Amino acid sequence: MQRFTRKHRLRAGLAALAVTAAIGAAACGSSPTSSSAAASPVGTSQAASGSCKPGAVKLTFWAWAVGYNLVVNEFNKTHPGICVVLDDVGGGNAEYVKLSEALKSGNGIPDVAEVEYIELPSLEITHSLVNLVPYGIDSYKSQIVPSSWAEVSQGSAVYAMPGDIGPLGFYYDTRELAKYHLTPPSTWAQFATEAATLHKDDPSAYLADFPAADGEWLLALMQEFGAFPFQYSGGSDVTVDFTGPTEMAFASYWQNLLKARLVNTTADFTAPFWNDLDNGSDASWLMAAWGPGYMAPDIKKTMGDWKAAPIPQLNAGGHLEGSWGGSTTSVIKGTQHPAQAAEFAEWFFGNMTSWTIHAGPVGQAFPGYTPLLDSSSFRDSTILLSGSTKSQQVYAAQAANITSVQWPPFMQEVLTDAPTAFAGVVNGSETMQQALQQLQKTVTSYATAQGFTVRT
Amino acid sequence: MADAIGIAREGKAPAKARLAGAAGPRRPGGGRGRSRLFARQGVVAVGFTLPFLIIFALTMLAPIGYAIYTSLFTTKLIGGTAFSGFANYSQVLTTGWFWSGLARVAVFAAIQVPVTLFLAFFFASLFDLGVIRLGGFFRALYFVPFAVPTVVAAIMWSFLLVPQYGTYTRLVSLLGFPGTNFFSGHLIVGTIVLIVIWEVTGYNMVIFYAALKAVPREVVESAIIDGASLRTIITRVKLPMVRPAVVMLCVLNLIGALQLFTEPSIVSSFQPGAVSFGFTPMIYIYNTAIGDGEYNLAAAAAVIFALVIAAASVGWLVTVKRKGTIR
Repeated sequence: MQRFTRKHRLRAGLAALAVTAAIGAAACGSSPTSSSAAASPVGTSQAASGSCKPGAVKLTFWAWAVGYNLVVNEFNKTHPGICVVLDDVGGGNAEYVKLSEALKSGNGIPDVAEVEYIELPSLEITHSLVNLVPYGIDSYKSQIVPSSWAEVSQGSAVYAMPGDIGPLGFYYDTRELAKYHLTPPSTWAQFATEAATLHKDDPSAYLADFPAADGEWLLALMQEFGAFPFQYSGGSDVTVDFTGPTEMAFASYWQNLLKARLVNTTADFTAPFWNDLDNGSDASWLMAAWGPGYMAPDIKKTMGDWKAAPIPQLNAGGHLEGSWGGSTTSVIKGTQHPAQAAEFAEWFFGNMTSWTIHAGPVGQAFPGYTPLLDSSSFRDSTILLSGSTKSQQVYAAQAANITSVQWPPFMQEVLTDAPTAFAGVVNGSETMQQALQQLQKTVTSYATAQGFTVRT
Repeated sequence: MADAIGIAREGKAPAKARLAGAAGPRRPGGGRGRSRLFARQGVVAVGFTLPFLIIFALTMLAPIGYAIYTSLFTTKLIGGTAFSGFANYSQVLTTGWFWSGLARVAVFAAIQVPVTLFLAFFFASLFDLGVIRLGGFFRALYFVPFAVPTVVAAIMWSFLLVPQYGTYTRLVSLLGFPGTNFFSGHLIVGTIVLIVIWEVTGYNMVIFYAALKAVPREVVESAIIDGASLRTIITRVKLPMVRPAVVMLCVLNLIGALQLFTEPSIVSSFQPGAVSFGFTPMIYIYNTAIGDGEYNLAAAAAVIFALVIAAASVGWLVTVKRKGTIR
């Protein structure tokens, strides 16, 4: 064995230093930009568990949406007997996966959780949510848009407090559309012709992006074509129909645009996607009302140029309105403090104080809470991204047209399988029709294996 | 030389006498005395290994047993949990995903393992020759990627390779390949091969370097005296003498390659759809368990995959066995 001479000690020291530097650089290396809807930072709640007042009931709240920490702080300030600790365990599917694992193991279950409408049936079928009717939630019914109330109710029970909604709109760059002498399309047929005009004028630009691998977005868009594939109202019967006539019509419309390369295929909520919007590669975003909150941080050149228009319709004069996403707060079974948890869950989305923060400059959430939705202060509000135009009016006018849909109790599975089914569409090796057929097979065999009676 | 052998023989004899003496002075029933000694030694041995055995049982054997147990049942959303025998196993074996994933990691391993070992041996030889100034510093530098956690490395590389805006993507388009998408269907396996080679070559190199340093200098010197070229020395003298290291690293790299999970998993959050449901067997198991919530099916897939890896490792070791030893 060699003696540990000075030379060797120096080498060892250098090596250790290099390794430490690398680890340090690696740890601080990645920037916190959104690479997906899930990655938006929440910010820590002021009430970290260390600063809860003694005697206050401590509640754990799992949530990821932008700005929720501000509302939690407001609640803790005005409700000294309850101390809510916000914990961002990941967004959307990431949180639901952890929630189902926690429920399976019986450990680490939060008291309240942010749950999107799509996930409520999955939690209802496993009896994981506390019915809020005994905690006075029915008093809020008249203040919530009807489609949201329908999606949180099952029979006579109400399992969540409806929060924000995501009415779809055509959010476009006014300068880009003016450059190509286009107006916001009012029908899908007009959308197709405008997409062709724009792309012919500038082969590096597109009218919009079609991120086929984003399952939730696709299902919202299908609502605009009257092609929602699911029906489920509890129990063991479920309808799964990705290949019916309306669904195939939806597929062929978009397949024609994809084949002619008239729409972009960048994955949404990624850095390239935001850059495409900012530098004119995508002239518009088929998005929901809550989109600006995610978009604004990455927009530099086109701040103030964006404007909202109603989403195109199948038929001129039609009123189909889909909703993309939207969250609720629900109380999870197993909580030690159901009354306080219910009080927090209902307050979180149930009064003007909390909604002013939700719809404020940080959260930019779109209210399903009608006292705010119908107020002129909200409808006349402006955001930096949209300059002086009043985009909320466009969405608010559509909110009443949103049809409630029936989500099946296995959306985690659908959203896990969707990117694989549509990957071929993104890179051109598969058609939309083939992708829908593949998804139909996957979802129906899963549902059958899980014991459901599946109707197609 | 004969003296040396003689000394060695003598050296052994007193040791034997000492051992017999240690059994205690001769008394009637001396046989029982010896077995009592071995029994005491046995108890001591068990006592020393017991902590390890307990932890091993709790963290390895128990979960494996539970996974096998879980794989024999099926849980349905409608209907609860019921015993289903080998139904999960036959479902996994008839699913396209499992086999396509297996084929993909086999191709991945066939590329990544040889390239990694070649590069690692090449660098280790260079360092062993002593021609590199500040050799120790560079060895540490080449080892650093292995010290970076794989998740961090995958995220770093994903940012560098992001379509359109990644640093390397822009570099490549300047070099004449605009619009390269490193996460697209035909490039993604190569991209992941690249990332993994970057991660593990340093580790393999350090092991090779240690093995090369253990090659006796006389052997190399006599080869030089005989007039062997540098290439011959490295490939015909040194390489065969580090064969045990080569075999061991082959197995380790092979197992690691078959278990590929982290890099595709991270890439899929940068480009949804780039990594399919069953891109690798581990991704298939993860998606089945966590994405689909089908823990029983995933347990069956995990058991099958563990057997596949065991078969591959044992098969490789058997193939390279020579004269009954792995040397």
